[in-house]
Amino acid sequence: MVRPAMSEEERTPGPESDPDSEHRSFANAAWSVPSHTLSGMAVYGGIGWLLDRWLGTSALFPIGILVGLALALYLVYLRYGR
Amino acid sequence: MSAVLAATDHIGGNLGSIAYGLAAIGPGIGVGIIFGQGVQAMARQPEMVNVIRQNMLLGFALTEALALIGFVVPFVHK
Amino acid sequence: MSAPHLLAQSGDEFEAPGLHIFEWGPLFPGGPSWLDWLTKPVLIVALAGLLLVVFAWRAFGNAQLVPRGVQNVGEVAYLFVRDQVARPMIGKDGDRWMGFLFTTFFFVLFMNLAGVVPVLQLPVPSHIAFPIVLAAFVYVLMIFLSIKNQGFVGYFKNMMFPPGLPKPLYVILAPIEFLSNIILRPFTHSVRLFANMFAGHLLLAFFSTVAWWFLVEKLTPLGAGVGVVGFLMTIVMTGFEIFVQSLQAFIFVLLAASYIGGALHPEH
Repeated sequence: MVRPAMSEEERTPGPESDPDSEHRSFANAAWSVPSHTLSGMAVYGGIGWLLDRWLGTSALFPIGILVGLALALYLVYLRYGR
Repeated sequence: MSAVLAATDHIGGNLGSIAYGLAAIGPGIGVGIIFGQGVQAMARQPEMVNVIRQNMLLGFALTEALALIGFVVPFVHK
Repeated sequence: MSAPHLLAQSGDEFEAPGLHIFEWGPLFPGGPSWLDWLTKPVLIVALAGLLLVVFAWRAFGNAQLVPRGVQNVGEVAYLFVRDQVARPMIGKDGDRWMGFLFTTFFFVLFMNLAGVVPVLQLPVPSHIAFPIVLAAFVYVLMIFLSIKNQGFVGYFKNMMFPPGLPKPLYVILAPIEFLSNIILRPFTHSVRLFANMFAGHLLLAFFSTVAWWFLVEKLTPLGAGVGVVGFLMTIVMTGFEIFVQSLQAFIFVLLAASYIGGALHPEH
């Protein structure tokens, strides 16, 4: 429908698929880092909170959050940083 | 000075939100520095782009973690 | 809140705008009860949709070989979305998704820009219901495309068990991946838009209330300076808000394209 303006660009496809996919994976990784860290803290902090309620302690919730944070950062390193 | 002291009597609302505002300053500056310097490094040495991207991502993850610690502290310390 | 309160020096205090500026009752309070659903956000959403339809119709409805008038604007906008969002994020087959991405971008942009249009002055995504519906739409689309392209087992295997890790780590790391990809994704997607619009609207309302209160309602020699600062900050922040609103619309559609692209081309 809006072909006229594009027709000159359409003629030169260009072999830019490879850097494009690298850029795409970098952008995906950068956007998903906060979500990974948050979910790591949520999972292991949640386990710590449940253990706290079960055992009657109060220290496992912050410990779980820190462990989850460390694991999430390790996961980011494993997936994108190597 | 006395005006500031008098003002403390009237501060209302949730102190946790003020604390998170303060805690977000440092990671904000840090993330800005990481991406700014990362883009600069990519522009200076385009052949190193992959290494720079990886290190940018790791630095970003570590800095972002600080902001998220500030986010969950009110849940822990009630 | 405390400093303006000190400078007011009169009986009634300056009251900073709070959450109540987001609560809109029916548009016609005395009207019939079947019209109660018509609130200001609903009206703005309808206007944004109508504006989008009119814009697209005028731009692409009767396309000429040599573009004129609105068609120029429409083609520049189309090229922008295609070259900045669809092709980098989805890849070669990104053009197939241009209908969805173009519409989403301009719908969100018009809803955001309603925050600085003089009479409307409410960015609708500052109610989380509106961005979360759009995010849920993208989320359902993403899950559907992933399962269609990779199969049900393959999708979860790709997502939760990336190859190349030692076996015991999967037990520890798979819950994090699952929560991040399946549960938190629509949440972060919508909250990015919601929080920016919410904070921006509150900021604008605060500065303009300061200006109105100290320059018009309670004009005192001491408070006039605060009022002037509030007035100038209102102007500066309006410009900044236009920038943030455009940027957030762009980021919303960028993330939508990124999720669709991730569903179509899984990482290896």
